Amino acid sequence: MIVKYLVLSAAMFAIGAYGVLARRNLLIILMSVELMLNGVNVALLAFARLHAQSNGHVFVLMVMGVAAAEVSVGLAIMIAVFRNRKTIDAGDLRSMQG
Amino acid sequence: MLNDLKADPVFVAAALVSVVAGILTVSRKNPVYSAIWMLVCFLAFAVLYLKLNAPFLAAMHVLVYTGAILVLFLFVIMLLNLKPEELGLEYGPRTRVAVAAVCAALFALLSYPMVKDPSLRRELPPTPPDFGGVSDVGSRLFVDYALPFELISVLIMVAIFGGVVLAKRKL
Repeated sequence: MIVKYLVLSAAMFAIGAYGVLARRNLLIILMSVELMLNGVNVALLAFARLHAQSNGHVFVLMVMGVAAAEVSVGLAIMIAVFRNRKTIDAGDLRSMQG
Repeated sequence: MLNDLKADPVFVAAALVSVVAGILTVSRKNPVYSAIWMLVCFLAFAVLYLKLNAPFLAAMHVLVYTGAILVLFLFVIMLLNLKPEELGLEYGPRTRVAVAAVCAALFALLSYPMVKDPSLRRELPPTPPDFGGVSDVGSRLFVDYALPFELISVLIMVAIFGGVVLAKRKL
């Protein structure tokens, strides 16, 4: 039975979504995005197991590559923001607001 | 469903650890604690990957997530060296409860159709030999998915340049 893995994946995605929406610390928002990507990875692997096809494993590798790229650029942006504004509070970054 | 969970204590343990560590990750105020709980969460996920007959992906998960991404997070936390007053404000308890309710609804919305679907309850088919091993995933990656593989390397190259350009003080 594969449904338990999918429910866990949904739970992980929801936890990550909570972190993205309810936190203002940019570091923790990025970590929450990682949790969401992990939830998706479990779902992909569960479906790969359900159909006994290893295509899903390749998709997970792609997601890992994208996650690594996303986190490196995201942390670089955060360092640049902290250097200019002395804060990593997402609620303080409103200079583009009209 | 319950009998299935009882028959699989490893899954129950790994799922509980990952969910609790995930909740602690998104709720700690200090990002260092969040990063450490994220490490616990990722290790529990590696156990789940092994349970899903994906030994190569489990190894890659530990290498990439705990070895590269988490170390990058901890490195940046140390580089920024945030003082408690620089951590920033957080939303008040009312906003948090509202967002938690929205996310619980999201979870219900995502899991309800999957729990109802009988095709997800059938017995798992037997896997071919070496399913999820290095040679299986490798041949998929380099034969069937060679173009996406090359594109992802371009993406990572762009990310390297972007990281350097963004984080450098003066070019």
